[in-house]
Amino acid sequence: MRAWLRFSPIIVNETIISDTMKKYDINFNILRADISPRGGKMLVEIDGKQVQESIEYIKKRGIEVNPIKKVVKKDDEKCVDCGACLSLCPVKAICVMDDWEIGIDDQLCIGCGFCTSSCPMKAISVME
Amino acid sequence: MTIKAPGGKMKKIEEINQKIKDGDVVVVTAAEMISVVAENGLKKAAEEVDVVTTGTFGAMCSSGAFLNFGHSDPPIKMYKTYLNNVEAYSGIAAVDAYLGASQPNRNPEIGIDYGGAHIIEDLIRGKEIKLVAEAYGTDCYPQKKIETYITMDKLNQAIMVNPRNCYQNYAVATNSTDETLYTYMGTLLPKFGNITYSSAGQLSPLLNDPYFETIGTGTKIFLCGGEGFIIGEGTQHATEVERMNDVPVSAAGTLMLKGDMKKMDPDYVRGASMPKYGPTLYTGVGVPIPILNEQIAARTAISDENITCRVIDYGIARRSRPVVRETNYAELKTGEIEINGVEIPTSPLSSYKKAEEIAEELKEWIINGKFYLTNPVEKLPSKDHFVKPLEIKKPSILIKDIKIKPVIIARPTEKINDVAKKLVENSINHLPVVDDKGKLMGIVTSWDIADAVARGKTDLKDVMTKKVVIAREEEPVDVIARRIDKYEISGLPIVDKDNKVKGMITTEDISRLIGESSRKNK
Repeated sequence: MRAWLRFSPIIVNETIISDTMKKYDINFNILRADISPRGGKMLVEIDGKQVQESIEYIKKRGIEVNPIKKVVKKDDEKCVDCGACLSLCPVKAICVMDDWEIGIDDQLCIGCGFCTSSCPMKAISVME
Repeated sequence: MTIKAPGGKMKKIEEINQKIKDGDVVVVTAAEMISVVAENGLKKAAEEVDVVTTGTFGAMCSSGAFLNFGHSDPPIKMYKTYLNNVEAYSGIAAVDAYLGASQPNRNPEIGIDYGGAHIIEDLIRGKEIKLVAEAYGTDCYPQKKIETYITMDKLNQAIMVNPRNCYQNYAVATNSTDETLYTYMGTLLPKFGNITYSSAGQLSPLLNDPYFETIGTGTKIFLCGGEGFIIGEGTQHATEVERMNDVPVSAAGTLMLKGDMKKMDPDYVRGASMPKYGPTLYTGVGVPIPILNEQIAARTAISDENITCRVIDYGIARRSRPVVRETNYAELKTGEIEINGVEIPTSPLSSYKKAEEIAEELKEWIINGKFYLTNPVEKLPSKDHFVKPLEIKKPSILIKDIKIKPVIIARPTEKINDVAKKLVENSINHLPVVDDKGKLMGIVTSWDIADAVARGKTDLKDVMTKKVVIAREEEPVDVIARRIDKYEISGLPIVDKDNKVKGMITTEDISRLIGESSRKNK
């Protein structure tokens, strides 16, 4: 599952993530992170047999967990399939399909927001 | 493909129109024409195909509309006109205004996010727009200010007139510098991080009639979902350019277009904003090319791999930018091209999907007898057109031309206390830090010193900023003023080609310069 984890300033120095990984044997992939001494947030993908248990544990240690189904959303009414976003995606999650339509692969997206800010039509949004 | 002597039977536009009327006209898109010629040969293709439709849907900043609001009671002669806070030019008779697509919003909070192009789209969508007009008042037009709401239906006329559309080929953009650039060619990542291009290539109208043999003033076209006309060559129209396979390898011909906005469709016209650059109008244009002879047929069969274009380094903010390499639209459309041994991702900025839809739509109109071709009253100029540069009579002032105070510097080994004294004694706020050869190593400001004292630091080398924004002696002051604004700094060291510090230029120096020049002008 994918989720945004939010850290408050009081817990940024704790080793919560590595504790969780050791305790529940989960795969923990950080897609995006923005954490400073003032707190912050992290977009992660968690896999494994004990995902639910690990999330309960993370929550108990003080991290706010907001699961998300989609990382990125394209408004097809606004999008004109110009492709300005194509070359800005660092993980090649955006592609041109056979009929020249622009598609975004949500599974590959890391939510960096490069495409969001560069879209002339403001058609792409990253889920927070 | 160059055909020396046009062979076969010559067709006339009147004959094609008769076929449209009879329902047996043969129309293909410019993309389809490539395989029609490849499969049937040029002679047969030229005989059988009557019309080739082209299409493009891209950012065309040089667009806009004439709006006539009707007369109020008491009447007003509009002097300043705003639509949803976007200024339209009303230095034309009483209640006419020209709304430019690239005009930003006068509300700085909104700025380039909602400008002229967005108003054009909203009007076409039937949305209500707030109109504010100011005037100086005359005997015949006493009203000095009005505020009201308009919609497309309430306007007497809304006529799109675009001074420069449909560039015949265009530069392909990249960026060699260390910073991201925000341009009319989209976001350009640092160190050749990406490449952007805007032409629709093989579907693009003017690449299918490269010598303007069929296109001219009075040619009826598809414009933003309605019918429009070519009213002449566009501004910056150029003909004397380098060509390969008959088509220009860089920006060349342009079109001036006109159409009734009341009949347009928002599917084919959109207000947009190029990030940190400005508003622009995505304009959908389709031009029908009558296949009058084999030569015209051959030219409409041009394919992406035969259309050469040049990758230009937009990192150099001057009129002439260096060419990085040549490429073609087939290569660009693969999604990657190589620069210096590295595959660089590419982005089109115009929608090829929409371009195809436009060419298809225009084809349907013709096949269904809804659209007839017109003979141009006059062909577009096909020779002797150059784009002249703007010569500035008052040359720009260079950094080396301005009086700079003797440079005061610091060495990295100096103690914070001594540096603080130096700043106070010389009443300055910036101090470049240099090595024993006078080469720039960093910079320190009075704020950095205050911060260092607060944190208990004592050595300059721990406090100075190492990544310094600099000014070169040969750079124009205007460029430096823009740099100061961009990086939100108050001063930068001036360095020569060997990176030796020659002085400091600060916001105060620039303010003084502006003060002096405005005094002289009076």
